[in-house]
Amino acid sequence: MKRLFPAALMLAIVALAVYPVFATGYGVRATLQVFMWIALAGSWNVISGLTGYVSFGHVAFFGAGAYTGGILMASAGWPWPTAALAGGLAATILALVIGGPCLRLKGPYFAIAMLGLNEVLRALVSYFERLTGGGNGLSMPTLDATIPIYYAMGLTAVAVTVTARLIIGSRFGLRLMTIREDEMAAEAMGIPTFQHKLLAFLISAIGPGIAGALTARDQGYIEPLSVFPLATTITMIVMVLFGGKGTVWGPVLGAAVLFVAQEMVWARYPYIHPLLFGAIIVGVVLAMPRGVLGLFQTKYRLPRTI
Amino acid sequence: MNVVITPAMVGQVIISGILSGALYAMVALGLALIFGVMRIINVAHGPLLMLGAYTTYFLATRLHVNPYVTVPISMAVLFALGLLLERTLVFRVIDAPELSSLLLTFGISIALVNGAQLAFTSDLRSVEYLVGSWVVGPFAFSKSRVVAFLFAAALTAAAFLFLTYTRTGKAIRATSQSRDVAMVCGIDVGAVHRLTFGIASALAAAGGALIAVIVAIQPEMGQMWTFKSFLVIVLGGAGNYPGAFVGGMLLGLVEQLASLFLTTQLSEVVAYVLLVIVLLVRPTGLLGGRQT
Amino acid sequence: MVAVLEVVDVRKSFGGVRAVNGVSLTLERGRIYGLIGPNGSGKTTLFNCITGVERCDAGRIRLFGEPIERLPPYRIAQRGVGRTFQMIRVFPELTALENLLVVTTGPHDAAQARARELLSFVKLEGLADEYAGNLSYGQQKLVEFVRMLMRDPSLVLLDEPAAGVNRTLLGELLDAVRRLRDAGKTVLLVEHDMKVVMGLCETVFVLDHGEKIAEGPPGVIQADEQVIEAYFGR
Repeated sequence: MKRLFPAALMLAIVALAVYPVFATGYGVRATLQVFMWIALAGSWNVISGLTGYVSFGHVAFFGAGAYTGGILMASAGWPWPTAALAGGLAATILALVIGGPCLRLKGPYFAIAMLGLNEVLRALVSYFERLTGGGNGLSMPTLDATIPIYYAMGLTAVAVTVTARLIIGSRFGLRLMTIREDEMAAEAMGIPTFQHKLLAFLISAIGPGIAGALTARDQGYIEPLSVFPLATTITMIVMVLFGGKGTVWGPVLGAAVLFVAQEMVWARYPYIHPLLFGAIIVGVVLAMPRGVLGLFQTKYRLPRTI
Repeated sequence: MNVVITPAMVGQVIISGILSGALYAMVALGLALIFGVMRIINVAHGPLLMLGAYTTYFLATRLHVNPYVTVPISMAVLFALGLLLERTLVFRVIDAPELSSLLLTFGISIALVNGAQLAFTSDLRSVEYLVGSWVVGPFAFSKSRVVAFLFAAALTAAAFLFLTYTRTGKAIRATSQSRDVAMVCGIDVGAVHRLTFGIASALAAAGGALIAVIVAIQPEMGQMWTFKSFLVIVLGGAGNYPGAFVGGMLLGLVEQLASLFLTTQLSEVVAYVLLVIVLLVRPTGLLGGRQT
Repeated sequence: MVAVLEVVDVRKSFGGVRAVNGVSLTLERGRIYGLIGPNGSGKTTLFNCITGVERCDAGRIRLFGEPIERLPPYRIAQRGVGRTFQMIRVFPELTALENLLVVTTGPHDAAQARARELLSFVKLEGLADEYAGNLSYGQQKLVEFVRMLMRDPSLVLLDEPAAGVNRTLLGELLDAVRRLRDAGKTVLLVEHDMKVVMGLCETVFVLDHGEKIAEGPPGVIQADEQVIEAYFGR
C-alpha cells in the first residue's frame, strides 16, 4: 500500500497535466476551480488546522490578492503571472499587518478579530473607489488564458500541498500543534508561540493571495461581493473539517469531494447550499471532529503526514 | 472635508451615542453571559438577533400587533429557541476545545442565516411605526431610537437586578466564576447553562425587535452585531457583566463621534481598529476581567 | 558565587486578594528546596511569577544574577528554567517521543537520540510512539518530567510531583530528583505530602497568606510554632 501511493500520485499528476488536451472547456474550468479550493483549504489548514487559531476572515487574503493583481493588470498592464505573485505578496503583507497585533491574543479573541476583517476589507474597497472601481467592479482586458491559468492554479495547489507536507512532517509543524494542544505549556517549554503563529499565518496567506489574482484574471472582472464573500471562508472551513484538519491530504480530499458534490447535486438547489454546509459543519464537529482522514488516522494508526 | 463642527453637533452625536449604546450593551450582555458561564463564543448570537427582528416584523405586519408589544413575544420565542439549541447541540461542546464550540456555533449561524434567506428572501423589510424625531432645542431625537433606548435600558437593568438579587441569578454568577464549585454547592449546572443560553437569546431577540422599527432588516444583518457585541465585551472586559454596559456605551459614542469625521462606510473600520487597539493595549478589557 | 535564583520582595495581587505579599528567597546551586504552606498560601502564584506566567506587581526576580521578572515565559524557559504542572500538561495528540522532540531546536538526530535516552531513563522507551493522551496518569507524569529535562534546565520547578502517584513510581521520581541535584541542578518543589518534603528537601520555605513565615531544614520547620499554627490553627 505504501509503495502504491507515490505511483498513484504520479499517475494522477500526469493525468491532470494532460487533461486540458482532450477535455471540454467546462471540464478545464471545473478542475481549475478544484485546484483553487485545494489551494485555499490547504492554506487555511496550515493556520487553523495546526494551531487551532480559527481564521474566520481568511477570504480576505483571496480578495486582497484578487484586487492587487487585478489593479496591476488593469491599470498598470502587468502580465498575469507577475501580477499573481504580487497578489500573493500583498496577501502576505496584509497577514503581517493583521497578524502582528491579533495573534498576540489568545485563540478566541483572534477568532473574533478575524470575524470582522471581512466586512472591514469590503468597506475599504468601496471607500477607495477610484482605485478599485468600488461597487462597480474592476474589469481587465479580455484574454483567453484559461489553459495557462489552469496550470498556474494547479501549480499553486501543488505548492500549497507540498508546503503542508513539509510543515506537518517537521518539528515546526509539531510546535504549531502544541499551540493547539496547550499553548501555555508550550510557552513554558520554551516555544516562542507568537513567532510560530505569525509564521504559519503568513504562510497561510500566500496561496489564497495568488489564487485570488489568478481567479481575477480568469474571470476578467471582479467586484467586492465576488471576492470577499463569507461563503468562500465557510466553504474553505467545511472542506478542511470534512477532509481532516491538521492532515496533509485532508483539505485535498475535502476540496475534491465537496466541490464535486456541489456541482453535481447542490448546484441544482442553490438556495439550501449554505444551510447544508452549516449542517455539515455541525455534524462534523459533533461526530467526526478530526474529519475523514483524521478518523482513518486514528483507526488504522496511519502516520501523521497523511 | 470642510465641515464646521459646532458644539450642538457634538452634543447631538453624544446623545445618539448614548441611545445606541444602551442597545449595544443589552445585546452584548447576552453574549457576555454565554461566554462567562459556558466559556463559549456564540457566533450565532447575531443571527438570533436577526430572528428576533423577523419575529417582530411578521407579528407587526401580518397580525398588526403593535411592534413594541411584540418585544416580549420575540424574547419568549427566541428564549425557547435558545433553550432548544443548547439542549440539542451546544451542550455537547462545553468541555471540548474552544475550536469546537467556535465552529459549532459558526455552523449554527450559517444554518440560521440561510434558513432565514430561504424563508424570508433577502429583501429588505422594515416595520413602519414610529417615524420622525422629537426636536428639543438644537437636538433631534429619533423617536424609534429613544423608545429603543428606554426598552434596552430597562431590560438591561432588569437583567442586572435578576443576576444580583435572585437565587437563579446568583446561581448563574456562581457557575460563571467556577463551575466545579457551583456543582459542589448543589447547583444544577446543566440547567444553568440552558437558562443562560435562553436568556442570552432573549436579550438578542429584544435587540432585534427594537431594531426592526429603526432600520431595514435582512437575513445577513446579524453578523455585524455578533462582531460588535464581542467588541463591547472586549472593551468592557470578558466575564465582567457591568463591563458590557460600559463597553456598549463606549462603542456607541465612539461610532457616532467617528461618523462626524468619517463617512458611515468607514465607521465599521473604526470599530475594528478600536477592537485591535484595545486587544493590544489592554487584553483584559478596560474594566479588567478574566483572560481565557 | 552568584545564586541560581533570587526572589526579592515579590508581590502579586488578584483584585483585592494579595496572593503573594512580599516574599523573598534565595536558591543556591545543587540543592533541593521545598515550598510548603496551606492551600491558598501563594505557592503556585509564586511559581507562576518565577516562570513568567504571571507578571508580579512588585519586586525582583534574578536568575543567575540577571533580572527575569519582565520576560515572557518562553524566554525564561530558554534561559534554563524547567517546570512541571500541578495538573499534568502533556500534549495529548502528540506521541510521547514528539512531546519531547518539540521542545528542542537543535539538529534532528541529536534531539531524537536525547529524547529516546530520556524516555529510557524512565523506562518508557516502549511507549515512545504512543499518543500521550492514551498513556496512564503515572506514565504521563513521567513524560512531563523528562520533557522538562530536554533542555537540560539548571533550575527545576516541580509543582506537586507526588500528587496522585503510587508508591513505586514515587520512589523512582524522588530518586530521579536526587540525581538531578547530584548533577548540579537546583530543584524547588511545591508539595503537600510532608513525608516527601521532609525526606527529600534540604531547605524548606513555608508560606502562609502570601508571606514567608519560616525557612530552614525540615527538622527545624517541623517544630516551628508558627508553621504548626498555620497548618493546624490555634
